[in-house]
Amino acid sequence: MQDTETLSALTIEKLNHSVATSNGELDILKGINLSIRDGESVAIVGASGSGKSTLLGLMAGLDQHTQGSIRLYDQPLEQLDEEGRAVLRGQYVGFIFQSFHLLPSLTALENVMLPNELKGDRSAKDRAQSLLEQVGLSHRISHYPRQLSGGEQQRVAIARAFASAPKILFADEPTGNLDSKNGALVEDLLFELNQKQGTTLVVVTHDPELAARCDRQIEIHDGELKES
Amino acid sequence: MFAWRLLLRECKTGDVLTLLVALVLSVATVTGIGLFVDRLQQSFEVQSANLLGADRSVRRDDPIPTEWINQAQSEGLETAQTASFSSMVFSDQGLQLAQLRAVSSNYPLRGEFLVDQQMFGTGVSTKDAPASGEIWLSSRLASLLGAGISDKVRVGEVSLLVTKFLVRDPGSATSAFAIAPRAVMNQEDLAATQIIIPGARVRYAFLYAGEVENLERFDNSLRPMLGEGERIRTPIERGERVGNTVNRAESFLLLAGTLAVVMSGVAMALASSRYVKRHLTQFAVMKTMGATPKKLSSLMAIQITAIVLFGIIIGSGLGLLVQALIADLLSSLMNAELPSPSWSKLWLGAATAIISTLAFCAPLLARLVSVPPLTVLQPAAALPMRSTSLLLFGLVGMYGLMIIYAGGWQLPSILMVGLAVVTALVFVVGWGMFALSRKLSKQSTTGWQVGLAALHRRLVSNLFQLLVFTLIIMLSLILIGVQSNLVRDWQAQVPENTPNHYLFNAQATQVEDIKQYTQENGLATSDWFPMVRGRVIKINGEDVEALYPNRRDEPEIAERELNLTWADQIGEGSALLEGDFSAQGISIEQQAAIEANVGIGDELTISIGGLEYTLPITSIRSVDWQSMQPNFYLILPKTVLSNYQANYVSSVFLDQTNAADFYRFMSNYPTVSMLNIGELLKQVQDIIAQLANALKIVLSFILGAGALVLVASVRSTLDERLQEGALLRTLGATKQIVRQALLVEFGALGLFAGVIGAAGAEMALVGLQHFVFEMEIAFHLSLWLIGPIAGWGIVTIIGVFASRAVLKVPPIRLLRSI
Repeated sequence: MQDTETLSALTIEKLNHSVATSNGELDILKGINLSIRDGESVAIVGASGSGKSTLLGLMAGLDQHTQGSIRLYDQPLEQLDEEGRAVLRGQYVGFIFQSFHLLPSLTALENVMLPNELKGDRSAKDRAQSLLEQVGLSHRISHYPRQLSGGEQQRVAIARAFASAPKILFADEPTGNLDSKNGALVEDLLFELNQKQGTTLVVVTHDPELAARCDRQIEIHDGELKES
Repeated sequence: MFAWRLLLRECKTGDVLTLLVALVLSVATVTGIGLFVDRLQQSFEVQSANLLGADRSVRRDDPIPTEWINQAQSEGLETAQTASFSSMVFSDQGLQLAQLRAVSSNYPLRGEFLVDQQMFGTGVSTKDAPASGEIWLSSRLASLLGAGISDKVRVGEVSLLVTKFLVRDPGSATSAFAIAPRAVMNQEDLAATQIIIPGARVRYAFLYAGEVENLERFDNSLRPMLGEGERIRTPIERGERVGNTVNRAESFLLLAGTLAVVMSGVAMALASSRYVKRHLTQFAVMKTMGATPKKLSSLMAIQITAIVLFGIIIGSGLGLLVQALIADLLSSLMNAELPSPSWSKLWLGAATAIISTLAFCAPLLARLVSVPPLTVLQPAAALPMRSTSLLLFGLVGMYGLMIIYAGGWQLPSILMVGLAVVTALVFVVGWGMFALSRKLSKQSTTGWQVGLAALHRRLVSNLFQLLVFTLIIMLSLILIGVQSNLVRDWQAQVPENTPNHYLFNAQATQVEDIKQYTQENGLATSDWFPMVRGRVIKINGEDVEALYPNRRDEPEIAERELNLTWADQIGEGSALLEGDFSAQGISIEQQAAIEANVGIGDELTISIGGLEYTLPITSIRSVDWQSMQPNFYLILPKTVLSNYQANYVSSVFLDQTNAADFYRFMSNYPTVSMLNIGELLKQVQDIIAQLANALKIVLSFILGAGALVLVASVRSTLDERLQEGALLRTLGATKQIVRQALLVEFGALGLFAGVIGAAGAEMALVGLQHFVFEMEIAFHLSLWLIGPIAGWGIVTIIGVFASRAVLKVPPIRLLRSI
């Protein structure tokens, strides 16, 4: 039996990505090579427009890359169609977004139940309640997103991200829309749950403090990777 | 199940409800109008059945076989019989040849007799037939016989008691010219008269009535048993006199319903697009959680099926309520009850729901399923909505729905051409106008300029909004135009002093006396037309019998003896279509010419009083059969007819104040026949009033639905406008500027929509008037005023009212809530 600590969660080789624009092809990512170990926390930093979010999207299988290879838990993403990538995301991946993306028509509890309900998990409710308790929102479970503050919404989003016990969590500017107090609270929760569940964490951020709390920081500059 | 749970959760917020409301609105409108039209149609059938005396009748020369009667009764139908024959009627003072009708005791099955205790009275209704031993005489017959109430008259070997004067019996209403001194007696006395001997000329009628399904079943089993020349008559053909009016009203209601379908489609498309816009990110988020496209598709399919089912159930219920409400309003106006709706028509609403969902909703929702998950990180990655293909999909769906609803392609095609032209106009004119508005707003400093600039800035969304506004305004204007045309035409058809009595069988000398009386007493009469009987025996030299070996195929002009006339002028209500009316030949009525397949130059040989005349057709006329003026299929040269002694015919208008005096005066001329068609005319006027009211109610209903769609359309782009308004306020724009900008933007959209909508409506009306309503084409200047003014006013009010939050709520709250 292999030791999971030594397993690679994500391996990227010779990744190139370009998009078509009215002025021809635009290269967004150029020759990226990267390996992330299982359980590791990695911060991706860089200037706006440097390609951070694009890289995050490709690593999570949200989009199809142009060239190269991305293996997520040994599955080559380039060989999967959208159906296959969705199944893979359901198995391994969790997300936290800058603008929370809670479903406005669902309560906090229902939002957290959603990932497990999609899988048909009958214990979705119990697990959601427990997670909301862990993020300190057990008194707000029947509130709708519009009735919650920004910090509270992001805490619900964190609970939702951990609900399906993902092996890898992708966070896109998780504190970008929050004030420093709420930002710190969210950061603490993120790392606390991350450690508790042994999740691999990939965070795109502008926040140097958040980046510093990660095991490793990599910087993207003009579509190219620079490990610091 | 997860799909259900999600749907129920979504129901707590507005988006699913908006979709459901649009669907319910579609189903309710279509069901409501569909059921109401059905009830009106049934009501016309009932009224026409009253004229026929039953739901069906079969006339034949032999007695009605007992087998027919038994079979009809075993199908649960009521049956009645009549026997019509000519016979001498004797009184103490004289004798007279009369047209008698012996009826079974339960005749009529539908409708009523009109009888009076006074000679030449106007009559009261009764459902009962004369009892055995009784006879009812028409006033004219009674006056010729010198018989009154309680006198006895003899028919053949039987003596009968006169108990009433007959004004009208249900079967006689449409056979104005076949009228002779008439009497009605009970069938039980027929055998005792000993008149009906083999070879006697008797016309038997078999009448039956009952439930539609039973009627249809019996019709089918009766048809093979019918002899040559026998056929089943239905109320609709019998009631042809009001047929055209009713047909046009039905076409209008059908048009209204079809337009309601279009409006519903627009409402559905708007609601779906709002739903999709607001759910794009949600679907992308679910995809990040591992929801596969397949899973989301099935989730969507379950939810949409549930929404459609709920929509059908609630919409049908509401539709039933709406039609009951319209019918109730109409009943109170008309003092008449409409028949119950046919439940089978409920499928129309269900079909609308399903097709609307497939055409307007499904393509949009399919895009929702295919939203790239990357949208969660990059909103720009959302699939662009391919508006043109969506529009095409919607138009095809709409066309299909209209064909189902209208039961034909003509009306939908005219509307579709209109819609397509208007869509093109909106995009060309709208684009031009918005481009111009940009030029006029180079420096956006005043509210006017900000408003004008906004028109161009949101070019695509404003063009679609303009299209929706234009369509709704156009559809409403079409209905207003058709409704006003129809009502005007109908009112012109039966004006106030329409003659309500026909006078015929008058001799030339009597005509002068009667003319003098009517002139002295200021009675309105039509011209006096001479009338000579004749029969068309050859067409272009060929015997009619050889041309039409099967009598059933004979054209009407050859089928029976016709009333022929001569005239110097073409006469009121008629129009020359072809040829020369003054030429020494035959002038033929248009439909009769078509039926006999003849035209200018063809020759007809007519037998008059044993002599044959062969004459060419020299003119073709159109005749308004509803004008209540004496009308003729054939008009011959005076030189031919003046050799014969003619009877003259005319019509006169009598009212309560002068009828009795005129009747008394006419009793000096007992040989002149007088037919009171006042009751029939009143029936026509009642139907017209009923239809005009129905049209008005349906029109207001559709206009109301149109206004709702306008509101929905404004709401669909509200978020964008609120956001921009809030931003403007944040940047320091005064309320005044924001208000003015909104007024200008909505005002301009409403005004453009009104102008283009009026153009589209006028265009569609030309097609509708010509092809569907078969009316003269008229232009509607009023629409060009109503369209722009109403468009500008209504859209501005709705828009500014819906956007009032921009002016009231602090900008920060608005920005957060969007």
